[in-house]
Amino acid sequence: MSETVDARGLACPQPVVLTRQALQNASGPFMVLVDNPTARDNVARFARSQGCAVEVFDEDFGFRLEVTPGTCVCEPEEPAGAGSHLFVLSADFMGKVDNQLGRLLIKAFLNTLAERDQLPTHLVLFNSGVLLACGEAETVSALQRLQEKGVAILVCGTCLDFFGLKEQLRAGSVSNMYEIVETMASAGKCITI
Amino acid sequence: MGLETPDDAAVFRLSEDLALVQTLDFFTPIVDDPFTFGQIAAANALSDIYAMGGRPITALNILCWPCELGSEAAVEILRGGAEKVREAGAAVVGGHTVEDKEPKFGMAVTGLVRPGEELTAAGARPGDLLVLTKPLGTGILATALKGDFLTAAEVEEAVEGMRLLNAGAARAARKVGARACTDVTGFGLLGHLLNMLGEEGLGCLVEASSVPFYPRTLEMAAMGMVPAGAHNNRLFYGGDVKAEGVDELLLCALFDPQTSGGLLLAVPPQEEEEALEVLKRENPAGAWVIGSFRERGDAKVVVLP
Repeated sequence: MSETVDARGLACPQPVVLTRQALQNASGPFMVLVDNPTARDNVARFARSQGCAVEVFDEDFGFRLEVTPGTCVCEPEEPAGAGSHLFVLSADFMGKVDNQLGRLLIKAFLNTLAERDQLPTHLVLFNSGVLLACGEAETVSALQRLQEKGVAILVCGTCLDFFGLKEQLRAGSVSNMYEIVETMASAGKCITI
Repeated sequence: MGLETPDDAAVFRLSEDLALVQTLDFFTPIVDDPFTFGQIAAANALSDIYAMGGRPITALNILCWPCELGSEAAVEILRGGAEKVREAGAAVVGGHTVEDKEPKFGMAVTGLVRPGEELTAAGARPGDLLVLTKPLGTGILATALKGDFLTAAEVEEAVEGMRLLNAGAARAARKVGARACTDVTGFGLLGHLLNMLGEEGLGCLVEASSVPFYPRTLEMAAMGMVPAGAHNNRLFYGGDVKAEGVDELLLCALFDPQTSGGLLLAVPPQEEEEALEVLKRENPAGAWVIGSFRERGDAKVVVLP
């Protein structure tokens, strides 16, 4: 055990914040002490979402969690009803050629996606893909529906700036390359359209 | 109003055709920007008046403030609050400040309603549709914001939702003949729904897959950003809720305490189309049918996956 995180007496999210710090510095298993069930569940969820193995023990003061980094290759917990996959939309059309057909296809694609039970965790929009979420684009409503269903839509901020469309974003949230890379790297499956 | 089913605000009859509606709410900052916090706290305090079918007329500020933070941010909070009160067509007529270690802001709001025209938490009938007028997730997202798991820009949609007045939703509720109404706040969706059911044998079915959430809510729940309030709500209300096969995190999120949440309405089933149309027109946040009232079965509330 390299160190012990004593998160007793702290309200959420502090126990998770301390666990995240410990995990970043951890060279091996470590313990987290908490004194309430909310913190126990949250720390366990967080650690498991980061690929750690977690064992929980009842103690007089509350709970002791043994966190072992990187031993579990299981997928991070996914939001309910979602498969562990995301779609990358790098253009405002589908296929290699920008024509009427390609625009029709991308609209049909998003409408179909919005009707599915198995939703992606994220949509990542960059380059001219950001146009799909802006202004009067016919795809805005499908993206809004997806968002309502809990799909996180990351829209590249640099690209919005490039097209001068930041004020006209109507679905999704402005994102950055750091977040986009992190999200793509941690996805179970990453599908580029 | 009686105390059999808890209501959102007190109603005191002044005359045959006039009653006062009174409510008070204040809390610690849930966003960093003071002006935005003021707006949210005011929208939240005003919400109880709207949930009772009332029209706000005056508001009194309640501010707890650590002097070492200086007056600039305090002024911004008050400015944000006043802006929302103005938008609601009411006036800030005073207030009180006390020194405190942690900042807190809110309002005591007074409104008017015609006796007999109150919207109450009780009154739903079997067959009525359960309609929600804002997405859920503000408790989880605020926790993630506090823990630096999300940036202010990433919770923008929830912030927009929280500072949106429930005025339009309440107007629409009246137009479509809503039979019962409450607002979703600290007890979470399922807690407030249970408060609509009373002891009379009324039950409700909730389709978890139809419930809207702000972006990133379920993802943040999976990252351990569930606030203690959600856990407490579940402990307190969980016994009346049957949720077989419902994802654990989703259920947590259905108990997530909300700040300035939407209205929860019982709408007669024949009004479904018109209700959704009117609600979506009057309320920028939208409207979702998330279930229906029915005769009580083996649990007061049944949640379907």
